[in-house]
Amino acid sequence: MGWFGWSSSSKSTNEDPPLRQDRQKCWETRDAYFACLDRVGVVKAGDEGKQCAVENAAYNENCARSWIDYFNKRRVIAEQQKGLLAAANTQAQDAKRTS
Amino acid sequence: MSQQTPSGARDRAAVGVFTPKAAILFVAVGTGLFMYFRHEKQKLLEQKQKELESRQYGRAHVGGPFSLMTHKGEPFTDKDLLGKWTLLYFGFTNCPDICPAELDKMTTIVDKIESTYGPIVQPVFLSVDPARDSPCQIAKYLTDFHPRFVGLTGSYEDVKATCKAYRVYFSTPPGTKPGDDYLVDHSIFVYLMDPEGQFVEAFGQVTTVEEVLGRFEKELREWAKEKGRKV
Ligand SMILES: [Cu+2]
Repeated sequence: MGWFGWSSSSKSTNEDPPLRQDRQKCWETRDAYFACLDRVGVVKAGDEGKQCAVENAAYNENCARSWIDYFNKRRVIAEQQKGLLAAANTQAQDAKRTS
Repeated sequence: MSQQTPSGARDRAAVGVFTPKAAILFVAVGTGLFMYFRHEKQKLLEQKQKELESRQYGRAHVGGPFSLMTHKGEPFTDKDLLGKWTLLYFGFTNCPDICPAELDKMTTIVDKIESTYGPIVQPVFLSVDPARDSPCQIAKYLTDFHPRFVGLTGSYEDVKATCKAYRVYFSTPPGTKPGDDYLVDHSIFVYLMDPEGQFVEAFGQVTTVEEVLGRFEKELREWAKEKGRKV
């Protein structure tokens, strides 16, 4: 079952753009999948092994490949930023304590 | 980072944040950001460029003649923007989240202006993905947003020329075919043009509805004072 008609199959007879309910559905399944990745402590989609399979299937079912790639990359970058901020904060705190 | 100042200790603490490891991470993250969020980066760059240009050359340098087609398949040129204020956004229908959020914001803004002043603002969506965004496709897409939205598309050359005139950057991945699944990297601005087609302001993604309304009303007051009319 495809997404907007051009997801997996090469034939694109369906010219419909994503509409509000399509986007909503995609974002919801993305959020559910990412929540599962959070639970199992995985940042990069695909590193979770056999875990989150149900959530991932729903995500793949409801989002275009290009969107999935975009959201997954954005998640990694956001996590890196969070980690960087946390590291910077810890170090700033340490520096403050020793100075 | 002067040691002589009383805040020297604090300065040293701030420098300590950037250990070699953090520095490498910082560069790595920066590279990642550059690769995937040129969208955002470009937005900032263009904002700066725009500010510079509007200061140096005035407003006339954003915008210009164009000839495109509406979502109903009718011809549409820059002349059709005259006699109304215009809120103009460049995007594409397969945009994952930024475009629809911006178009929702525009819908709210246009509704608010309309309830006070009547339909004096024309919302326009201009596709930066003409290969996939046919008039029919744009028409379906726009049903989610303000009913008075005009969708514009055209040949790749015409769209490219229009974007150049409006200083909008966009980039389609190489070698794509119309039916392919891809994203288009593009600058994210809502442009406000006056009823004579002159550029007023470019609003970035972080600009709130209230800020846009405030800017619009200020411009409208000045315009009405000068011209004795609202459009
Ligand atoms: Cu977009």
